[in-house]
Amino acid sequence: MKLTRREFIKTNAIAAAATSAGMSIPGMALAAAPQGADGVRWDKGVCRYCGVGCGVLVGVKDGRVVATQGDPDAPVNKGLNCVKGYFLSKIMYGKDRLTKPLLRMKDGKFDKNGEFAPISWDAAFDIMAEKVKATLKEPTQGPRGVAMFGSGQWTVWEGYAAAKLMKAGFRSNSIDPNARHCMASAVAGFMRTFGIDEPMGCYDDAEHADVFALWGSNMAEMHPILWSRITNRRLTAPHVKIHVLSTFSHRSCELADNELIFKPQSDLAILNYICNYIIQNKAVNQDFVKKNVGFFKGVTDIGYGLRPNHPLEQVAMNNGYPGADGKPKGDPNKHAPISFDDFAKFVSEYTLDKAHEISGVPKDRLEALAKAYADPKVKVTSYWTMGFNQHTRGTWVNNMIYNVHLLVGKISEPGNSPFSLTGQPSACGTAREVGTFAHRLPADLVVMNPKHREFSEKMWKLPPGTIPEWVGYHAVLQSRMLKDGKIGFYWTSTTNNMQAGPNVNGEIYPGWRNPKAFVVVSDVYPTVSAMSADLILPCAMWMEKEGMFGNAERRGQMWRQQVKAPGESRSDLWQYMEFSKRFKVEEVWPADLLAKAPELKGKTLYDVLYANGQVNKFPKEDLAKVNAHAWAGYTNDESEAFGFYVQKGLFEEYAGFGRGHAHDLAPFETYHKVRGMRWPVVDGKETLWRFREGYDPYVKKGEGVKFYGYPDGKAKIFALPYQPAAEMPDKDYDLWLCTGRVLEHWHTGSMTRRAPELYKAFPDAVVWMHPKDAEKRGLKRNDVVKVSTRRGEIELRVDTKGRNKPPEGLIFIPFFDEHRLVNKLTLDATCPISKETDFKKCAAKVVKA
Amino acid sequence: MNISSAIVHARPGDVAVVQAGLATLAGVEVHAISPEGKLIVTIETEDEGSNAATYERIGQLDGVMSAAMVYHQTESEPETEVSVEAKLRATPQNKEI
Repeated sequence: MKLTRREFIKTNAIAAAATSAGMSIPGMALAAAPQGADGVRWDKGVCRYCGVGCGVLVGVKDGRVVATQGDPDAPVNKGLNCVKGYFLSKIMYGKDRLTKPLLRMKDGKFDKNGEFAPISWDAAFDIMAEKVKATLKEPTQGPRGVAMFGSGQWTVWEGYAAAKLMKAGFRSNSIDPNARHCMASAVAGFMRTFGIDEPMGCYDDAEHADVFALWGSNMAEMHPILWSRITNRRLTAPHVKIHVLSTFSHRSCELADNELIFKPQSDLAILNYICNYIIQNKAVNQDFVKKNVGFFKGVTDIGYGLRPNHPLEQVAMNNGYPGADGKPKGDPNKHAPISFDDFAKFVSEYTLDKAHEISGVPKDRLEALAKAYADPKVKVTSYWTMGFNQHTRGTWVNNMIYNVHLLVGKISEPGNSPFSLTGQPSACGTAREVGTFAHRLPADLVVMNPKHREFSEKMWKLPPGTIPEWVGYHAVLQSRMLKDGKIGFYWTSTTNNMQAGPNVNGEIYPGWRNPKAFVVVSDVYPTVSAMSADLILPCAMWMEKEGMFGNAERRGQMWRQQVKAPGESRSDLWQYMEFSKRFKVEEVWPADLLAKAPELKGKTLYDVLYANGQVNKFPKEDLAKVNAHAWAGYTNDESEAFGFYVQKGLFEEYAGFGRGHAHDLAPFETYHKVRGMRWPVVDGKETLWRFREGYDPYVKKGEGVKFYGYPDGKAKIFALPYQPAAEMPDKDYDLWLCTGRVLEHWHTGSMTRRAPELYKAFPDAVVWMHPKDAEKRGLKRNDVVKVSTRRGEIELRVDTKGRNKPPEGLIFIPFFDEHRLVNKLTLDATCPISKETDFKKCAAKVVKA
Repeated sequence: MNISSAIVHARPGDVAVVQAGLATLAGVEVHAISPEGKLIVTIETEDEGSNAATYERIGQLDGVMSAAMVYHQTESEPETEVSVEAKLRATPQNKEI
């Protein structure tokens, strides 16, 4: 039978949609055609964007990705795509793809004020090595001044190779991921409440819950595929109810049974009110609480993560900053045990009246929400993202949602789930599990703990004392230290901090352009960050390299390299490993450390970190063997370059940290065959719900529930108050400014703005505003306005209707648009515990431009 | 050209309204309708701008609750012929890949 290519593709498209919808099409044969019938080779892959982690099938023809479809066999998305995932095949083929290293030069030499000119990789690594060595020697900088900023978009092995290069190679813990801006508060919340990171539940909760509560999350636009599972549950089970809490009305509210629009920061008061309601109405699950929970009170004058000379920090006695005597002023994380009665008394002041007064939410709506949590017959799943995490009390608010779930014992079982969503494809898999934060090591270990350092050094076959004990510069601190001249070498990758970071005018731009700093940006397109750098390195992306991401439900997923990167672009993994060859151990380690391991003398960091007998254990022939079920003769570029199966070696060394320690990953080969697995994977079986007998292999028979993150097996409930935001509207800047995303664009738009369909669907950022606020300022829809804060101003058009409907007194601006940089306006206040920026709250004004 | 498919979910009782709405959009075809109100739709467009615009319009049609995208392919030679022996699903059935 002959068909035109158009008819053939169309038939495939119909069949794919029908399969995903569980429908059959009359008269259509759905038998499998041989691979490549139309010259397209199909293989499994993972979406490049958000933390949902949808499976996609990737079609390659003539060395180019030409087609994608939602993977019908992927349990996450069951064949569906959101509009961004739909156009994935286009993200690698933007016309302005970077293909050569580019250095700022004048008269043939590096010059901070020169113009970008192409250079070789060799020359690029020469100047980088020179700058690293100079920084290490500079007394005002030293190892702390060699800093790296990566992301939750690193593949697992890229993050692992980077962390190893920094923490063991250059002996600097000044490495942090952009995940700091995204879910550091979720991490700190998990660590404080449970002593172990990441959600206990999984996406299957979406099919089991009776009630869904969204806290500061617009899933309809930001996690659309998971939202489609919730929509499906809501429409097929009539008793199911959805509560949406937000500071403005948005698309997720369209499906809400109970919409709660609250004043910024008042989520703290609402959560305490719910606890109070549960206690007053005798709805505490006494048995559960007695056996599984301890009560604590946290310190409260913790500041706002601003620079130490800010007036708000000078009065904060527990911000941990150096005081007049040079010693740290307290510790924002400090907490002491209290009794249940103490806790009950603490929350008793958060009455319905008070919660209503602070939040502005009608009382009947607050009560309906509290009732849902309190009713023992109702299974509740809570979802949250940036509304909770990007919060100057982000750690607290994460602790406080667990307070609610723990009081009623609604946790760690199907449908009863407090669930922190993530924004990046491997925020969990790479940033958190690999431990690419300034304080972390793999598998929840931390650099401050001598036993953890010792264990890591043994795993890495390095002498004791290699890993520094100090916490490195975190994301916001990196910007400040660049500006203050304390960082001499700065390398960022898979992120765009000049657009995504807070207070660009005040901190980030002056920091990057400081003559004392040399800034390297590894990227695929000329982003705002790349154009602000001194050296740009062209990267391979997504299907141009073999990869592994870990999504929000602890699911690790791998893909094979499908196509070659263009021109001279190389993967981040290749960049870290190849660059490490430029350093002899003697050049970066002190003599006393090297004396403990004389066998390492004369070796390069490459030998010590990657050719260490572990990482280089698997020969190149293994690539074809491991992947034989998919295609014959498979190989990838990094393994060809270094002569061994690089990804397998790095993965297996890394997996050694978590196996037997409640972070077990499956063997490497398994991931190349399955649609992901959720850790801990023990005896070949994944874990859907942690901490509960029967689901979690780490909970023994007869133990029931065990929060084994803490030695006593108990989780912590925290007594914490409502406190105001760092900056609030006043007579000069009379509006709350909230920033975020839109469905069509992912983060700073460096990929989605290169898919023509997505660009055209939402070309320019707008400011959403209440019609009355517009009227008061003499503004009409589509007028160009000037939005300003104490830190800067931008011009853009105003929108008074459409998908977002702010209440009076609040405006919302998305951050995807590089021509309208909303982060010139934002304040770099952070949660003092998690160090995550509050991008949701600062004071702004709007006037006609 | 761009060829793609989507599942359009109509509000219960609004299937006919949605079908009528889809019929007004250029390049859009309905191939099947399920009893629960799901419609299998293809979209064919010559340029990328109209592709995006078509999506936005489907989402805004009266009675549409959600539009989920499934498949997308770009094809530069749509009228050349291929031989397929009536086996029409080219994407892999092998769950092990």
